[in-house]
Amino acid sequence: MSIQSKSLLVQDERTKRRNAAEKRFHAYGLGAIGVAALALVLLLTSVVSNGASSFRQTYITLEISLPADTLDKDGQRDHAAMASVSTFGYAPLLRDALQGRIAELDITTALPDKDVADMISKEAAATLRNHVLANRHLVGGVVTLELLADGRIDGYFKGRVTLESAALDGNTSPEALQIAQALADVGVIDTRFNWRFLTAPDASDQRPEAAGLGVAILGSLYMMLVVLVLALPIGVAASIYLEEFAPKNRMSDLIEVNISNLAAVPSIVYGILGLAIFINFLGLRQSSPLVGGLVLTLMTLPTIIIATRAALKAVPPSIRDAALALGATKMQSVFHHVLPLAAPGILTGTIIGLAQALGETAPLLLIGMVAFVRDYPAAYSESAGLFGEAATALPVQVFNWTQRADPGFAERASGAIITLLVFLAVMNTVAVLLRRRFERRW
Amino acid sequence: MKVNTFTQLVPDMAEQKITARNVHVTYGGSTAIKDVSVDIAANTVTAFIGPSGCGKSTFLRCLNRMNDTIDTCRVSGEIQIDGEDIYDRSVDPVQLRAKVGMVFQKPNPFPKSIYDNVAYGPKIHGLARTKAELNIIVEDALRKAALWDEVKDRLDKTGTGLSGGQQQRLCIARAIATSPEVLLMDEPCSALDPIATAQIEELVDDIRKNYCVVIVTHSMQQAARISQKTAFFHLGSLVEYGDTDQVFTTPSDPRTESYITGRIG
Repeated sequence: MSIQSKSLLVQDERTKRRNAAEKRFHAYGLGAIGVAALALVLLLTSVVSNGASSFRQTYITLEISLPADTLDKDGQRDHAAMASVSTFGYAPLLRDALQGRIAELDITTALPDKDVADMISKEAAATLRNHVLANRHLVGGVVTLELLADGRIDGYFKGRVTLESAALDGNTSPEALQIAQALADVGVIDTRFNWRFLTAPDASDQRPEAAGLGVAILGSLYMMLVVLVLALPIGVAASIYLEEFAPKNRMSDLIEVNISNLAAVPSIVYGILGLAIFINFLGLRQSSPLVGGLVLTLMTLPTIIIATRAALKAVPPSIRDAALALGATKMQSVFHHVLPLAAPGILTGTIIGLAQALGETAPLLLIGMVAFVRDYPAAYSESAGLFGEAATALPVQVFNWTQRADPGFAERASGAIITLLVFLAVMNTVAVLLRRRFERRW
Repeated sequence: MKVNTFTQLVPDMAEQKITARNVHVTYGGSTAIKDVSVDIAANTVTAFIGPSGCGKSTFLRCLNRMNDTIDTCRVSGEIQIDGEDIYDRSVDPVQLRAKVGMVFQKPNPFPKSIYDNVAYGPKIHGLARTKAELNIIVEDALRKAALWDEVKDRLDKTGTGLSGGQQQRLCIARAIATSPEVLLMDEPCSALDPIATAQIEELVDDIRKNYCVVIVTHSMQQAARISQKTAFFHLGSLVEYGDTDQVFTTPSDPRTESYITGRIG
């Protein structure tokens, strides 16, 4: 029986089966994309719903009187003398100011003094002290300051803490929340955008409301600079040599295979390597962005080399032939013609490598970047050198915060993840834009 | 078949530009061409014909040492240009390629402007001291390649935006901008339509006055139309070499006759 004998208007069995198989594959493909999209939506919803509130913060505005007899016994307004009064000297002033405000508003409460004081963040005393030390002429008068509310009060206005949960919570009480609500009604307490989250350093376990990403962002930025400055030139030079100049023999094959292998090495191994070489052997400072950057450079190099080699390979050989036949040297043909055409691919590879490095946690834990760092690291200092001052990094900060007990830190950790994702999204956008900008047809 | 009447005007003892003796090429053990000896005259168009894989392109690429770019390629024998052995240890292929230009099968302009395409060779060889000199070189090369009138108003447009035939003429202009003495053409018309082909052929006949042109072609009509000398390659050997009209009308080797009458190849 021949195929020709059948009518074209009727599908035969074989054609039906083939069409069915095609439809099934179509469905599998759509299903796979659906799963991926769902996972992305779930991730973003969970992170945003948990973390978006960390970009808002509750503040209490208070008028605080600054009695000269306790803050400056000498009356000289001398910095050193005034610095001898610690935050313990300032805490009662805050409590009195808040109690005064509550009394002014005719709110009657049975709340003990200590619990009233606890409505203000423990960070606030330090804020007040720094403000007074910087403006010593204020002593003896009254100052109006916006101070952080305690994490539980903050949580109440963000919906994390309720009157029911407060009844079971040793750190706050329904009465305190009712007072806070009354204060909010008259505008003493309000919630607004939280720049401190992006600029402030980390804070101790008891004060999630004060914790910020400043040090982590700086540390990550320094490390990215180190990675960019080292990994891009080294990676591109290695790729150009391997792809364009190296003789094709057993040795270059071996190198090629091992570079691919390096890309698959677990990142924590690079951490151990960094610890052994950069800290123990070379004696660089632990927790420093320099060491972090070096470790991430080692980790990023294979990615950049593989991407660059792929980009160089994609340039048609006819372009090289054209340049060589004109009497260009090998190097001229590479730098004048091949490299510009490969540039978009190289840039994309580099930015993907950088994005990978930005999100890397494990190796940084091993070189001590998990430490609690309160001071902003300087890019250069006399004692620590370039990028030598202790810092932490965005993903490590997330890791750090998720381990802390106070629920305020869970919100902060999600907020840090949002920040990290925004950074990654910006980097990927830049990669796409650069690609569009430099892409040329041949 | 049209026979080129110009051939008779070329003296038999024309000045020999290229002399090759016993050239043998292998690619990683397999022989591509064996024992090829040929003399190529100046101011002449010499055509290499033969079936695919017969080694004519390989031999062409020996003449400007483009085979050096292939790791496994080994060339033995002797090739002299103007009496100098181009495979001598002291010869830099870069200088050689400035003297021996090449046009490839597929048009391969750089993805840059038309001007930059032509100006690239003169720039890297330092042929122009000033911008004005460079402009003159570029215009001259484009005129010789019969492309000037078509592109003079859009020199800053990209070279890859031209039509196939224009691209190939741009490649020819690029090759002659460095004032080579020999121009190698590896099937320059195989990707072009008949009109573009006719333009290129006219051009080749024109530039022969100043250059020694060696052209590889699959079209026997083309070889007959534009060349004065023809070499027939078969299975890596040079089977027959002589004046074009003699090769096409009274071939001495039966294989040549079979090929040009279409029985092999």
